[in-house]
Amino acid sequence: MIVDDHDGVRSFARGMLEAAGFTVAEAGTGAEATEAARTVRPGLVLLDIGLPDFDGFEVARRLAAAAAEGPAPVVVLTSTREARDYGGQIAASPAAGFLPKDQLSGAALRAFLTRDR
Amino acid sequence: MNRWLRAALIAGAITAVGLFVWTSWPPNSQYALVEISFAIVGLSFMVAGIVAWQRWPASRLGLLFTIVGYLYLVPYILVNLANPVAWTIGNVTEGVSGAALVHLGLAWPTGRLRSRFECGVVVADYVQNIAFNTAATMFWNPAFSGCNASCPANVLLIGDGSRSAWNTLNTIEGLVGLVITGVVLTLIVRHWRSARGWSRRAMIPLLWIGAAVGAEEILTGNLFHFSATVTYVLLPLVLLAGPALFVISTVQARTAAGALGTAIVDLEPGASPGRLRDALARALGDSTLQLAFRQPGGSGHLDTSGQAVDADRPDNGRTVVPIAGSDEAVLVYDEGLELEPQLIKLTAAAAGMALEHARLQAEVQAQLEQVRASRARIVEAGDAERRRLERDLHDGAQQRLVTLSLALGMARDRAAGADPELEALITSAGKEAREALTELRELARGIHPAVLTETGLTGAVQALVERSPVAVTITAVPDERFPAAVEATAYFVVSEALANVAKHAMAGGARVTIRRQPGRLVVEVSDDGAGGARAEGGSGLRGLADRVASVGGVLRVDSPPGGGTRLEADLPCP
Repeated sequence: MIVDDHDGVRSFARGMLEAAGFTVAEAGTGAEATEAARTVRPGLVLLDIGLPDFDGFEVARRLAAAAAEGPAPVVVLTSTREARDYGGQIAASPAAGFLPKDQLSGAALRAFLTRDR
Repeated sequence: MNRWLRAALIAGAITAVGLFVWTSWPPNSQYALVEISFAIVGLSFMVAGIVAWQRWPASRLGLLFTIVGYLYLVPYILVNLANPVAWTIGNVTEGVSGAALVHLGLAWPTGRLRSRFECGVVVADYVQNIAFNTAATMFWNPAFSGCNASCPANVLLIGDGSRSAWNTLNTIEGLVGLVITGVVLTLIVRHWRSARGWSRRAMIPLLWIGAAVGAEEILTGNLFHFSATVTYVLLPLVLLAGPALFVISTVQARTAAGALGTAIVDLEPGASPGRLRDALARALGDSTLQLAFRQPGGSGHLDTSGQAVDADRPDNGRTVVPIAGSDEAVLVYDEGLELEPQLIKLTAAAAGMALEHARLQAEVQAQLEQVRASRARIVEAGDAERRRLERDLHDGAQQRLVTLSLALGMARDRAAGADPELEALITSAGKEAREALTELRELARGIHPAVLTETGLTGAVQALVERSPVAVTITAVPDERFPAAVEATAYFVVSEALANVAKHAMAGGARVTIRRQPGRLVVEVSDDGAGGARAEGGSGLRGLADRVASVGGVLRVDSPPGGGTRLEADLPCP
């Protein structure tokens, strides 16, 4: 599932990941993301940190907290900023890791999946 | 006082005392003490006369003092001249100095009598004094004192004289004198009771004179009989207290002018008008002094305790002087002080300066506050603008570049294998897009560090340390959020300090410590480098000091050559 408030980024990411063989769902806000996670049950969430309602760290915490309802998705945080712009927040979050938005590719995401399994 | 008048008064006093001593020479052992005492008292009034003339040229007090002094000595000189006419005149005028003293007392301190009634009392006293002495002289045969041929003749003597008539007349004179003295003392006490402030103080020497005269009248009025030593030596000396106290009070008034300066200098900066009034009242010796200000928007005046003061028609016995350099303030003081115009002028000038000083100080303080507030607002507005710019870059151009980069990635995948030339072209375009994105990120970070907004000082300082080419230890950074201006300032201090360490210090390592203290945030960056950094001049440290000052903080630089550099910013933080 791709969580990003920027339509252009979302549709390009979708195109790229579908081409790489993923089945893709989308969400534009933190609230949509937590809601969709319950119904869609994604195996991997590509989660933008800068969201209009609450930030990606908060979404990651909520997804982790909802883990009792079923297997938790692998969460990969992403941003146009660099990881170090967020200090220790990324390491402290339950997310599996961080991927700069411009380095997004199917292969990069698969690496997170295989590393986590 | 006129130079010639003063010279004449001094010459007159010396002549009178000289004549007195010369005519009574050689001293009769029996009367030597009496004569010394008379000379001293007479001289003391003459000296007080000179002093009074000098101190209050507008008052006739100097003249009255001088007259009392002469009338005290001259009759005795005349008696001692051994001439019948002089002897007779001397006897007739023997007690007239007492009447002049009554005149002096009732006319204190302006030298002018206050009412017709008091004029009448003074005239009556002169008249009865001369009349009784004339009558008594008519009955006094010089032979009564045991000198026959050696004494000068009494030109007024009736027949052989009469000792009993002389005694009777003296007794009556004593009683009349007692009544007049009682009336005069009552009047003086009334003057004293109605006087306030400066005038009341100015009457203190007079009260002594009054008490001494009263005592003398009672004790020498032939009602009581004391030894000659008490009557003629000790009592006159009591009179000395009057002139002496007057001279002392004059010296004190002289120091009042100096006390004014001290009073103003001793006022602490920002002292209230009430404190200024107290200081002026003390220096001036007028407890009734009021410092009054025009009511804002109104026409009346209020004194420093908020009481209304009629500055146009002040109470009885009050006088008003406007304070130079101030449209609003006036001094209201005891009218007796009109005798001291110089002192009043000085007081008004001193008060004017003190008020002007206080006003300027308040004005400068207010302006300083305004400038401080506007500087803080300007810096905060700048910060907000930088935050907005960074966010705009992030939400706009950066997103588009990311999208572009992703699109190029997909295009390259599609072209892979089919068209190697196209694939190389797209790869190169993708590389350009990523580099543009990197440059834009650096630009945005320079405009405003997103990490500061996102994570506060903890993450932002960590990010700075990670980017620094020098090994930096973070000793402490509080894990809480502070007002944006404080966070931004603390961040710029650390950022600028670490940049300086990397550029100039030739340091092996640096240390960052941020401590929360009650009401303050203290940021400290130290290194073990070359030292010698200076906050003055056009260095980055100057700008940093300005930035720290914009939030009301202080930047301290301790950088001895060869001893490393220690930078400490002390920021106020609620």
